[in-house]
Amino acid sequence: MKTLKYDVVVIGGGPAGLAAALKARETVEKVAVLERNDELGGILNQCIHSGFGLHVFKEELTGPEYAQRFVDKTAETDIACYLNTMVIDITKDKQIVAMTEEGMQIFEAGAIVLAMGCRERTRGQIKIPGTRPAGIFTAGLAQRYVNLENFRPGSRVVILGSGDIGLIMARRLTLEGIKVMGVYELMPYANGLYRNIKNCLDDFGIPLHLSTTVTKIIGSQRIQAVEVSAVDDNLQPIPGTEEIVPCDTLLLSIGLIPENELSKKAGVELNPATNGPKVDNSLETSVEGIFACGNVLHVHDLVDQVTQEAQDAGQFAAAYVNNKKKVSAEQEEKDKAISVVPEGLVRYTVPSEIYPEKTPVVKIKFRVGRPENSGKILVTAGDQVLFESKKARKFVPSIMESVNIKADMLKSSCQEIKVTVKSEVD
Amino acid sequence: MKYDVIIIGGGITGTAIAHELAKFQLKTILLEGGTDIAVAATKQNGGVIHPGYDPHPGTLKAKLNPPGARMYPDLSKKLGFHIRHTGTLVVAYSDQDLKKVDELMENARVNGVEGVEKLNAQQLQAREPHINKKALGALLANTTVMVDPFEVAIAFMENAMDNGVELGLCQKVRKITKRGKEDFVLYTEDKEYETRFIVNAAGVHADDVAAMAGIHEYKMQGRHGNLCVLDKVIPIHTVMFPCPGPDTKGIALIPTVSGNCLIGSTATMREDKYDVTNDAHGIEELIEGAKLLIPDFDAKSVIRTFAGQRPVALDNGNDFYIKESDTVKGFIHAAGIQSPGIASAPAIAEYVRDLLANAGLDIKEKADYDPYRQPIPDFSEMTLEEQDAMIKQDSRWGKIVCRCETVPEGEIVAAIHRTLGATTVEGVKRRTRAGMGRCQSGFCQYKVMQILSRELGIPEEEVLFEEKGAQVLFGKLKGMR
Repeated sequence: MKTLKYDVVVIGGGPAGLAAALKARETVEKVAVLERNDELGGILNQCIHSGFGLHVFKEELTGPEYAQRFVDKTAETDIACYLNTMVIDITKDKQIVAMTEEGMQIFEAGAIVLAMGCRERTRGQIKIPGTRPAGIFTAGLAQRYVNLENFRPGSRVVILGSGDIGLIMARRLTLEGIKVMGVYELMPYANGLYRNIKNCLDDFGIPLHLSTTVTKIIGSQRIQAVEVSAVDDNLQPIPGTEEIVPCDTLLLSIGLIPENELSKKAGVELNPATNGPKVDNSLETSVEGIFACGNVLHVHDLVDQVTQEAQDAGQFAAAYVNNKKKVSAEQEEKDKAISVVPEGLVRYTVPSEIYPEKTPVVKIKFRVGRPENSGKILVTAGDQVLFESKKARKFVPSIMESVNIKADMLKSSCQEIKVTVKSEVD
Repeated sequence: MKYDVIIIGGGITGTAIAHELAKFQLKTILLEGGTDIAVAATKQNGGVIHPGYDPHPGTLKAKLNPPGARMYPDLSKKLGFHIRHTGTLVVAYSDQDLKKVDELMENARVNGVEGVEKLNAQQLQAREPHINKKALGALLANTTVMVDPFEVAIAFMENAMDNGVELGLCQKVRKITKRGKEDFVLYTEDKEYETRFIVNAAGVHADDVAAMAGIHEYKMQGRHGNLCVLDKVIPIHTVMFPCPGPDTKGIALIPTVSGNCLIGSTATMREDKYDVTNDAHGIEELIEGAKLLIPDFDAKSVIRTFAGQRPVALDNGNDFYIKESDTVKGFIHAAGIQSPGIASAPAIAEYVRDLLANAGLDIKEKADYDPYRQPIPDFSEMTLEEQDAMIKQDSRWGKIVCRCETVPEGEIVAAIHRTLGATTVEGVKRRTRAGMGRCQSGFCQYKVMQILSRELGIPEEEVLFEEKGAQVLFGKLKGMR
C-alpha cells in the first residue's frame, strides 16, 4: 500500500467538499477530494427540483445544475478527485485510510476538511410502534428511487414529517401519478421552508396535518395503513383521536443527522445540540488541522449557505497548512478561546468558541428551538452589547440565522459571549 | 420421494436438528414456510447464550440448557459464526434480590453450571462503571456468550445442506395424512412429501401442525416481547439483567456480537400468534428498564425496535415440550422452545436424535460428514492487509455498499451465491449486516436491490423485501415496462 500526500484532503465530494477544495486550491498546491460514490455532487444529484443557487449564483438552478457548476470548476483545476473511495478511518495525525476498487489506500494530509454530509433519521429513532413490513422509506431513499433509479416506490403514500425532502417528494410523487394521502407533522408548525409548503403542498391540494403523528404501522407483509393521532402540547398522542389512513407506502421526512462516525474516530469532539463537531471561528474542530463544513457540521436549509461555509473552511484549512510551514505558535492561541453560549430560544451556535486572532470577522450561525413571533437577536459579552437587531421579527426553527461580529470588538478579558433571541412581547 | 425424517420449521430448533441429523445416513428435509430460514422467533430475540443458572432443577430446560450452551464455542469455530464472550450479570437492588441471587447460585450448582460467582457492590462497579449506583451486588456468570441467532441458524442449515440435508423454502405444511401403517404424507401448497418420521419444530404454530396429524396434546401461545437495538455507543461489556420475575428474566441490556447493544425484552402473553407488533407502552418499559441498569442511558441511541413471540406450550410448567407423541408414533414434538431455546438448541438436537432412534429410526454415522462450514468473509473484521489482498483479488470487495457497517459489494455477492444464499433484502441484511446500521438502509437499499436483481437474474421490481408477495418497489416509472 502506497501513501499519497496532499496539503489538504477533503472528505466528501458533495457541494460542501467541492467548494472547500476549490477554495483551498487557491492557496495550496496539492488538494484531493475523496468521494465514496461513483460521481461527484452528492445528494444534489437526486434533487432535480429547482430553487438552488439564488444566493450564490443569483439565479435559480436545479440540484444537478448547481452541482455541475462545481464539478466543472473542479475539472478545470488539478484537484485530485478519487471516486468510489470510502474513508474508513482517520487518525489524529491526519492519516486517512480508504477503500478503493484498486485496494486499500492511505492518504496523509496537512489539513483535513470533513464534508461527509448527513443522513436521514429513521423509523427506529422515533420508535414508531406497529409491524415492520415492506414499503417504509426515508424520503431521500424514495427520492433516489424515483429520480435516479426510475422506480415507483408505491401507489398510495403517507408522508410523516414536514421536512423539505418530504414536501418536495409530496409534489414529485403527485406529478408521477402517485396518490399522496397527506403530510403529518408532530410539531404545531411545519419544519420545511415556507416556499415548499406553498409550492409542493398547497398548489397540489395535499393536506398538511400539524400536531399529528403516526402512532402505529399496520400490515404484515407490505404496509396497509397507518394509524395517526393528534398530539397534545407535550407531543404525546391523545387517546381517542386515532384515525386509520390506508396506504401502501410510508415516507419519513423527520430530520437529518450530521454523519460524524469518522470524525469520532479521529477524536473530534461533537456538539450534542447539532450532532456535528464543535468548531471555532475558523471552522477548525477540537483536533488541530481538521476542519468541518456543510451538513456534517450542522444541517443547513439551503445549499447556498453550505457553499459559503465550505469556502471558508477550505480557506482556513489552506491557511493552516501555509502557516504551519512558517510558525508553530498554534498552542498559544488555543489558550485564549472565548466560548459562544446559546441562551434562551437559541438552541445552538456554530462556532462554539472563538479565537479573535484567527478571523477578522466572526460569523455566528444559529437556530431557535421554537418559533418566536417577535424577537430580536442579541449578542453580548458581559455588559457589552456586541450586536442587537434594529427591528423585531419572526424566528422559526426551520430557518438558520446568522450574525457577524467584528473580532476586534472582543476584548482580551472576554471569556464568553452569549447569543440569544429576545422576545419583544414580554 | 420418501424421506426418513421431515423437520417442520426453520428456526434455531429445526436447523439445529437438521445439523445434527446431517451426521447420519438419513434422507432428511427441512420444510420452512418463509422465503428464508430464521424469520420468526429466531430473528426476534436477544441472542444470549444463557449458561443455565436459571432453569429449575429437574426440568427439561435444566437438563438441556447447560450442555447446549457449552457446545457454542466449539460450534462457532466449526461453523464459522460470530461469538462474543460477555458474561452475564444479574443485578440485585434489594435484600430480596440478593436472596434471589443466592437461589440462582444454588440453581447453577445443581445444574452443573461453572464459572458463576457473586459480586459485591464494589466489584460490580469496577466491572461495569456505568451501572446504577444503587446496585447492591450481582450474580456473575462468566461463561455467557452472545451470538446472532439467525447467523447460527443459517450456519446450522448450510452445514446440514452441505452434508446432504434438503431444504424446502416457501413450503408451509397445510395437511398431514397417514399412508399405510407407518408413513406420513405432508402437503404444502404445491408439493407433497412422504416420510417415516416427523419432527415438529414449528415454534408458536407447533400445536396447529400437531393438530394436522390428529394430535392435541398441548396448546401453544406466544409470549410477546419488544426489543430495541442501540447504536454502537453504549459503554457496557457484560449482559445485564435485573433479578428475574416468575415468567421472565426482566429487561436486560445486551451487548451484541456486532458491537451494538439490545434492550430486551418485555413479556406479555398474546392470543394472536402472528402479532409481532411493537407497542408504545412496551418500548417505554424497555427504556425504563435500561435506565434502571444504566441511569445515564440515552434513548436517542435507539436505531431500531422489533418484537417477537416466544413459543410457550401452555400448562407445561413453562418447560420445553420435547417427546414422541403419546398417540401418533413417529411424530416427535420439539415444541415450547421459549427461552433459553437458543442456548439449548444444540442439546435439543441431540435429544431429538435420541428420541428418533428410540422410536425406531436407524441411525448410522456418515463416513464423509464434514463438520466445517466456511463463513461469508467479513470485510469489516479483516486487517488492512487482508482487506487490500481481498480487493486486489476481486475489485468488488473495494466497492462500498453499506457505509454504516462497512459492507462491500463483494461480500453481498458472496452472501447471495452460497449453499443457502440470500434472495431478499432482509436476507442480505441478516447475512452481511448491510442495512443493519444506524441509517437503517437509507443509503444502501437501492444498491442492495441492484445487486440482488443482477445476481438473481430478476427485475428489481420483483425483488422481495422479506415475505412472498411483498416487493420493495411497484415497478418502473417510465420507459420500457
